[in-house]
Amino acid sequence: MVISEDTRAAIDSECAKYPQKRGGLLPAMHLVQKQLGHIAPETAVELAEIFDIRPVEVMEVLTFYNMFFSAPRGRHNVYVCTNLPCALRGSRTLLAQIESHLGIAAGETTEDGRISLGHEECLGACAYAPMLRVDETYHENLDLEKANQILDGLE
Amino acid sequence: MGLKVPYVTSYLTEHCAEDDYVSLAGYEAKGGYRAAKKALGMAPQEVINLVKESGLQGRGGAGFSTGMKWSFMPQDSDRPKYLVCNADESEPGSFKDRLLLERTPHKMLEGILIAAWATGAEKTFIYVRGEYAFPADVVQRAIDEAYEKGILGPRCMGKSFAHDVVLMRGAGAYICGEETGLLESLEGKKGQPRKKPPFPAQYGAFGMPSTVNNVETFCHVPHIVDQGADWFRGFGTEKSPGTTLFGVSGHVVRPGLYELPLGTPLDEIIFEHAGGIPGGRKVKGVIPGGMSMPVLPAGQLDVPMANEYLRERQSMLGTGGIMVMDETTCMVRASCIITYFFRDESCGQCTQCREGTGWLNKIVNRLERGAGSEKDIDILVDVAGKMEGQTICAFADAAAWPVQGMIRHFRGDFEEHVRQQKCPFSGSFEL
Amino acid sequence: MPTITVDGVQYEVEEGRTILQALDDLGLLMNGVDVPHYCWHPKLSIDGSCRLCQVEVEGMPKLQIACDTRVSDGMVIHTTTDRVKSAREGVMELLLVNHPLDCPICDQAGECKLQDYAYEYGALQARTVEPRRALKKKVDLGPTIVFDQERCILCRRCTRFCSEIPATGELGIFARGDHSVIETFPGMELDNPYSMNVADICPVGALTTKDFRFKIRVWFLEDVPGICTGCSNGCNIFLGVANNKVQRYVPRRNDSVNDTWICDAGRMSYQEIDSPSRVKASLVRGEDGVLEARPYAAAVEAAAARLRRLVESKGPGVIAGVASAHLTNEDLAVLKRFLEALPTESAGLPVPRGEADALLVKEEKAANAAGARALGFEDAAPLVERIRGGGVDGIVMLGHDLLDPAYLGGIEALQKLDTVIWIDTHQSDLRHVAHVVLPGRHAAEKRGTLTNHAGRVQHLQPAVEPTFEAHAEGETLERIGRALGLTGFGGDPAAGSPTASSRK
Repeated sequence: MVISEDTRAAIDSECAKYPQKRGGLLPAMHLVQKQLGHIAPETAVELAEIFDIRPVEVMEVLTFYNMFFSAPRGRHNVYVCTNLPCALRGSRTLLAQIESHLGIAAGETTEDGRISLGHEECLGACAYAPMLRVDETYHENLDLEKANQILDGLE
Repeated sequence: MGLKVPYVTSYLTEHCAEDDYVSLAGYEAKGGYRAAKKALGMAPQEVINLVKESGLQGRGGAGFSTGMKWSFMPQDSDRPKYLVCNADESEPGSFKDRLLLERTPHKMLEGILIAAWATGAEKTFIYVRGEYAFPADVVQRAIDEAYEKGILGPRCMGKSFAHDVVLMRGAGAYICGEETGLLESLEGKKGQPRKKPPFPAQYGAFGMPSTVNNVETFCHVPHIVDQGADWFRGFGTEKSPGTTLFGVSGHVVRPGLYELPLGTPLDEIIFEHAGGIPGGRKVKGVIPGGMSMPVLPAGQLDVPMANEYLRERQSMLGTGGIMVMDETTCMVRASCIITYFFRDESCGQCTQCREGTGWLNKIVNRLERGAGSEKDIDILVDVAGKMEGQTICAFADAAAWPVQGMIRHFRGDFEEHVRQQKCPFSGSFEL
Repeated sequence: MPTITVDGVQYEVEEGRTILQALDDLGLLMNGVDVPHYCWHPKLSIDGSCRLCQVEVEGMPKLQIACDTRVSDGMVIHTTTDRVKSAREGVMELLLVNHPLDCPICDQAGECKLQDYAYEYGALQARTVEPRRALKKKVDLGPTIVFDQERCILCRRCTRFCSEIPATGELGIFARGDHSVIETFPGMELDNPYSMNVADICPVGALTTKDFRFKIRVWFLEDVPGICTGCSNGCNIFLGVANNKVQRYVPRRNDSVNDTWICDAGRMSYQEIDSPSRVKASLVRGEDGVLEARPYAAAVEAAAARLRRLVESKGPGVIAGVASAHLTNEDLAVLKRFLEALPTESAGLPVPRGEADALLVKEEKAANAAGARALGFEDAAPLVERIRGGGVDGIVMLGHDLLDPAYLGGIEALQKLDTVIWIDTHQSDLRHVAHVVLPGRHAAEKRGTLTNHAGRVQHLQPAVEPTFEAHAEGETLERIGRALGLTGFGGDPAAGSPTASSRK
């Protein structure tokens, strides 16, 4: 069993909020990912058992949404918004600079497993561009110096 | 650069710079929940009529009459009825709901409570986009407080009316902003929009009658109930009353939010409020309502920002996200980003959308590289035309319109790429 | 009943149906009124995603998908206007944007709806020069199916089939947009008793059966309508025939019997036709106790001679007839007449049994048990007792189901019999005890009728001709009866009997 008792209890209380148990699936996947960092196939099988659905249905949901991962990630997920409002304010230049600072391309993870870097579509910070999302936190109105400071401060 | 609270405020955002406005006590100190108390003393039909009379239009993009939407909910039905608050703000260029979630959560809850009373809904699901972790925390705290103080729960505000509010976080899919995609996601499925009919008012969340409204839409409701339809109609145009939160981004001196009456001219917003273009450069084009809406050229900035005027210019208000592009901007590059976005976010159900978004993106990328031909530009127009109006939801339209707009107004940029066999705009933003 | 007008012709249709369903009910869909479609399938839930079936409905500003638009009284529908044609052309072009150009090596060629519709409704010239999406070309989905992801047009028929028909739901659609792909859960297989139907409903060459792929080009096949004989459901099929060989079975739609499906076991049972275990020669046991090949006519004579001797020594009552639930009603009628003319009352019907399911598969593993019972053949259990008790000296055995554990469970009780005349299509231990062996014909090789579990009588016609001398069982019985001089057995067995089986 990879999903912990605590996570299972939290999933149960999420499910109770919805008229159908399956309403709790997305919250459950967030909870599982919080515990394990990603949702591996074996984890998806356990989720399927909890929700009494087929494992393939969990995989369909898992692969549909950008925020769920089926493979292990770095300790921190760092994203640069590269959509138009941010791009107009230099976010793609910033991403290229961050790539060379970290020595990895978007879509890759640093060798020490510290950072997985990615670019993301609009995050609702258009007026505060360019910006980074580090895990669940937004960092806005950045330049390269500020961005590097934030990245270097990550454990 | 980039002030979080609006540079210009009106009734919606009046107190949102005040930190304690986020708390129930702070909100009540400024008259919060007065309107809900009033509404719960009215007949539900009266509340619906009032919102109808106010002319409030949904602020999520489609601009449909809110009162009308509420009236579609079945009156005498044994089935439970639900409200859904669409807080899946993901339209590129839009960041207004984020402010309302973070700074005026109780106003949204008050609007929800009034709508629940009017429609007889027993539960509201607030669907917050997954990336909005902080706003979701703020709203959850507000919900908890409202339960503690008996505003929500088995006896809302002491009345024999029960209402529950549940917050769910999405997980990164633009299509979940489409109301039936959202409903699917709420039910723990892929966010693939549903065929309509049946419409949500008959078959919505978990198969029950449901009404889906946007965050900002709910936030207008307490003001309408509190001060009346006539007062509300004092803002904006005859057909598009009220204020809205315009989000200005891109090449302006003061990017940010501006709460202004609907119908405010676009050039007033850009030059008067947002400080114009940095470095004294000229405007080239402006996307007036979030990425799905066709671009307007510099010569059309006099348009009043309301649907009845924007439609004449073959565009729409959308979510009020104004993206300003200055004269250095390569519109083919902008199109690369726009088409990539729609390609990445198509749910993949309908042929035209799944295949069309990818094809548009491939052609535009090739044109930007200098490997395109005149014929490719015509193909873009033709393919966009064949995607339009033929799919389960409006996403394919939203993917087609911006391409059509770009070529309508900036065909020259595309042709120049073909002629020079490279991007001629060396000073443009980097791809 | 609502009346609708389609391309100027009025039709009465059933309330609550969609336009495509109504056209299908009328038998007009793609058969008079052409509304091409991919995702819609008459026996699956409505998906509405391929968007090919758009039609013009008067009073509606946008084109409507015919698969999901309900009919209403007075509805006026146009399926051939320029708008409709242009929309179809658009969908076809977009479906081809990512479709590989590998028709020459694709096994679906010839029965590919993408080929057919591209030809019928598409534009003449391809406008795309972009690279197509590169995906997995040969995914081993399980024991029966191979999947080419690049060819898939994501109509989602297969995923709906698996969730809705066998309800096993092995297939899912992963990712989204133009990255969407059909997959099974990692490490799991598409493996259910109906899995091969996904290849039939796949409109393109994405899903093919391991059994049939690359066997033969479909345009060399002649589709002969027939009945599957795997169980008493009597699923309707087409036998795909080339070079006098059945190359495959595919289901033939019959909404009263099998909808559009067939189980995998039934589908694969075509292999029994051209099987090494067929009884191919007429054999007669010699003085030395060894079976020897003899001409068919000589074997018939030998059978008659043994039976005559027995009748003369002990009377006809010691002879038992064993019916086979695999035979046609016409074969069985001859057997019945044969036993009455001998005369003997000793008869029985062994019925092979197995697992049933809730969908098509029935417990009785023979196609005509109901027909045999209707002709008066009763279960063979009492006959088994009589054989064990020594009340039988000679037996005319059709088939070999009497050896099933539920009946004799082996040949032991038959070893002491004076005469065993065995007529069958496939080998069994009966060869050790039979005195005369006569080859029979498979259902694919003869004309006749079968009565399914529900009493429905369905016709067979010969699809192939045996490569060895074999006659329908009824015909062989006619010949033996004539040799015995039985009353009513005087005519020409081949011409006069309805079991006459030559393929023409």
